[in-house]
Amino acid sequence: MGWAWGWGAPYLYLLLLGALTLGLVPYLPPYLAHHPRKAHLYGLLFPLFLATMAGVALASPGFGFLFLWEGMALLGYLLIALEGPGALVGARAFFLASRLSGIGLYLAFLGHGYLGTDWVWAGLLLGFGVKAALFPFHAWLPQAHPVAISPVSALLSGAMTKLGLLGLYQSQYWFGPPPPWVGWALVLLGLLGAVYALVRGLGEEDLKGALAYSSVENLGLMLSALGAYFLKPSPLLLGAFFLHQVAHALFKGLLFLGAGALEERRISHLGGLFRKAPELGALALWGMGVGAGLPPGPVFLAEWQLYQGFLQGTFLVPLAAGALALVGALALYFYVRLFGLAFLGLPRGEAGLFWTKGMRLGLGTLAGLLLLLALAPGVVLDPLRVPTYPNGLLLVLLGLLAGAFYRGVQRMPHRAYGTWDCGFQPLTPRMQPNGLGFAEPALRLFPFLRLRVGEYPRLEEPLAGVYALLGRAYGRLAALVQTLQSGSLHLYLLLQLLALVVVLGVVLL
Amino acid sequence: MTALLALLLAPLFSGTLKWLKARLTHRQGPSPLLEYRNLAKLGRKVWVAPYPTTPLFLLGPIMALLGALGALALLPVLPGLAFKGDFLLALYLLGLGRFFQMLAALDAGSAFGAQGSYREGVVTVLAEPGTLMALAGVVLLGEGFSLSGLPQLGVENSLVLLLALASLALALLAEGARMPVDDPTTHLELTMIHEAQLLDHSGPLLALYELAGSLKMLFYAGLMSLLLPGPKPLVFLGVVGAWILALAYLETYGVKLRYLRLPDFLSYNTLFGVLALLGAIWRF
Repeated sequence: MGWAWGWGAPYLYLLLLGALTLGLVPYLPPYLAHHPRKAHLYGLLFPLFLATMAGVALASPGFGFLFLWEGMALLGYLLIALEGPGALVGARAFFLASRLSGIGLYLAFLGHGYLGTDWVWAGLLLGFGVKAALFPFHAWLPQAHPVAISPVSALLSGAMTKLGLLGLYQSQYWFGPPPPWVGWALVLLGLLGAVYALVRGLGEEDLKGALAYSSVENLGLMLSALGAYFLKPSPLLLGAFFLHQVAHALFKGLLFLGAGALEERRISHLGGLFRKAPELGALALWGMGVGAGLPPGPVFLAEWQLYQGFLQGTFLVPLAAGALALVGALALYFYVRLFGLAFLGLPRGEAGLFWTKGMRLGLGTLAGLLLLLALAPGVVLDPLRVPTYPNGLLLVLLGLLAGAFYRGVQRMPHRAYGTWDCGFQPLTPRMQPNGLGFAEPALRLFPFLRLRVGEYPRLEEPLAGVYALLGRAYGRLAALVQTLQSGSLHLYLLLQLLALVVVLGVVLL
Repeated sequence: MTALLALLLAPLFSGTLKWLKARLTHRQGPSPLLEYRNLAKLGRKVWVAPYPTTPLFLLGPIMALLGALGALALLPVLPGLAFKGDFLLALYLLGLGRFFQMLAALDAGSAFGAQGSYREGVVTVLAEPGTLMALAGVVLLGEGFSLSGLPQLGVENSLVLLLALASLALALLAEGARMPVDDPTTHLELTMIHEAQLLDHSGPLLALYELAGSLKMLFYAGLMSLLLPGPKPLVFLGVVGAWILALAYLETYGVKLRYLRLPDFLSYNTLFGVLALLGAIWRF
């Protein structure tokens, strides 16, 4: 097993898990104290979940890996389902996605050696792709995240989805190099998923749901980086792949934990939070600015490498740079909407806030690590020998100049006055656009999403019917299996005997 | 160096444009140098901070200016900073300025600022991919990914470069908030894009915004001048002059498009970008 990388990818994931844990440790006690629902169970499951994820990162392919993988899925399901009946839909979606992922992995792991490379890689694509929110299978992620508690969302989105990416990356060493169609599929589906997720997320009302769609976007970019790397290896693509993962884990952890401080998460009912909690606002601005892929942030650095990697790619891969630019512009719109409507302007309701010292410390830790990554991206990139530009210097220069200008303008004479209101009647918070109103002009550009306006405006999912069909089919299958569970000891003994005979037959033949 | 030159030139650019537009409609027009005095006057004024505002209100104009200056600093019209892939950083630095400008417009809590903000977002979504693909096509024909190694218009690469120039010209109209996309002189809030975002900014903040707006246009003019043969500073001045003429005529005799027609207009930008990139890949 050869590493393309000096010190091995799995250790990077341990570092990533460690960084997330560092942010979670001060955050969890006050958060769980405020959400007393089964706090002790959460306290038991969190370390277990972290341990299985570390195990998955380190395990070599085989039954141990599959055991840990399923254990991770089960623990993730329990962590979501603990929230109670309200979380049922999300937990079910997560469970079904885990089953789909399991099917793919069994196909690949058991079929390795019997089936052709194409089948093995199709299984891997399904198995790891579902976990990494590959485009048509991404739907579980935005359903599971809004219902889970914030620290769980941070772990699921920040760390667990990355293990699917790690699995795909490692598979080229485990099962041999992928056929070209795998690379093409990853590039196409990754970019398609990124654009779809941002457009769909623009119409999302729940703050955490919107963040989940942003996760699908980021994961799509990482998948396309990996796909282009499969087509034509280049250190730039590998750099984009790994740096983006670390940056995404940190900024999405920061944003999900930040969302945990809000009692109201509907965007159209928020507003003016920056004045209420300036520290939370500043941390969220840093996280969302990074998420929008703006220059001194590490996500931009990853995208910068991805652009160049795409442009050096084979055949038509350079066209992917155009899709990436569309993703960049949409991400800007997306995060302006989230931050602008939730944190700026006039408050649209009496949103409660739970914001304690420990939570501040947790978010601050993650923000600090993110800053460190922006100042010295070499920590991740040096072992890969990826060319880069002095991003840290740019950050420092921009910060100093902006600070100097800010103080200069603030010291100039100014007076406070009402916002200009056309001279008719005073402004009310209802005059600001709401969540869907702000996104509507962009949603009109993408006809695959139809906007139903009425008393409760909503978006129509083009793929919802397919997912419902899958869910029903799984339900039928489960009901069939349930008929075996008759309670009759004789039947169970007979079944065990039959299973033994079949296994012996397969082994001996 | 380019950034400093552009900073000096920016008020003259917008001043001359205003003067020429007035002359074209048989009015006397303000002196082209009036813009410098105007900026100085704005800089001395007391500015208004609306009640609901936060630090973002100040950061908006500051980052808009810094973003444009940063992007211009990477242009090698006069000696500039150069490294691989700096054209990407330049475009995204403008994006950084736009992010803060859009947020600052939402900060005052008025309906108009938000309207300007999401319209700006839509224009960006429409214009960004084409612009980037056009530049990427040009860069693929040159040596390396740097702006300092761009090829210049010649017989063998004329198709790609002309397509890229057309795409950049449309991008200038969109990003500079000029006529067919946006009307810089309108005072009807419901039709404004760029100006609607500045409604609540006054005094020195408005001066920063005005400078940033002119700088953005100079950035695109500078990009175009890099693709044309000849000594760079002279070509740059020539392109800027040509833009003053073109914009003055366009805004005197043209009309602003309906907002809902913008996708049609800017799809040409995307089309030129795709064709330039395909041309560079297949070397036709």
